[in-house]
Amino acid sequence: MTVHNLYIFDRNGSCLYYNEWNRKKQAGISKDEEFKLMYGMLFSIRSFVSKMSPLDMKEGFLSFQTSKYRLHYYETPSGLRFILNTDLSVSNARDTLQSIYSSLYVEYVVKNPVCVLGQSLDSELFSSRLDAFIKALPYYSPRAA
Amino acid sequence: MADESLFDFLHMEIVSHIYKEQQSSKGEMDNKDRAVCVSVLESMGFRVGQGLIERLTRDSPSFKDELDVMKFVCKEFWTKVFRRQVDNLRTNHQGTYVLQDNKFSLLTQLSSGKQYLDQAPKYLAFSCGVVRGALSNLGMDSVVTAEVSVMPSCKFQVVVQKL
Repeated sequence: MTVHNLYIFDRNGSCLYYNEWNRKKQAGISKDEEFKLMYGMLFSIRSFVSKMSPLDMKEGFLSFQTSKYRLHYYETPSGLRFILNTDLSVSNARDTLQSIYSSLYVEYVVKNPVCVLGQSLDSELFSSRLDAFIKALPYYSPRAA
Repeated sequence: MADESLFDFLHMEIVSHIYKEQQSSKGEMDNKDRAVCVSVLESMGFRVGQGLIERLTRDSPSFKDELDVMKFVCKEFWTKVFRRQVDNLRTNHQGTYVLQDNKFSLLTQLSSGKQYLDQAPKYLAFSCGVVRGALSNLGMDSVVTAEVSVMPSCKFQVVVQKL
């Protein structure tokens, strides 16, 4: 049971924050390209999902899973996108992502006068609190299952 | 009391607005410009502090001496304005007081250590003015400065001016 990595994007597609805890394999491309790919792919998936939905949709795209990991997606009303990769034992990380947004991002980034919204986050306070939060999650363990 | 974030956000924007105004007239800021910004913020805080103290002391009896005034500032005044009490008050009994707040509410979101230490004075100027205004309306003319070594703890030094 573990958390692999976390991305935070703003509504324009720039990656504000990225951190990894347990990533065995890299993507093979530069970090910039990886962020662009992640954002672009999720943008396309979201519009595909809403277009092809046979019913009226409320939330839209929530997560996808492969045989090894599950990607969870959470979008705030202000256009911030939180993406969390965990292993398959975590079925729903929506609450986790929502509390990352409300108790960490809003507290330590929005309320930080030095952090300019839209630029990548380099507040150490935010990083350390996020790290502690992730490590305190019930489904986190330092070694991948 | 209203939601705390209202004042936090307004204060952040006041500071950034003043610095931007000063900067737009020339290309970059030198020390003189920085001093101007700090004094503008401080005088804003002065007027706010004067008004606040009138309101907060309208029901309390008059104070015995300076130390009593400082204790009131550290407890009731600090609680109303910064949502906690001052942790440590030191004095040399000759007009100099040092108020130490280990979790100053305007600095807690900035960092908890050394990051952004150089930016901290910008966000303390207004509060120094508030303290100076409060004291001046209680009859004590003073000079208030603040210093930070490890965020979010900071020390306010009050030197009372004898006429």
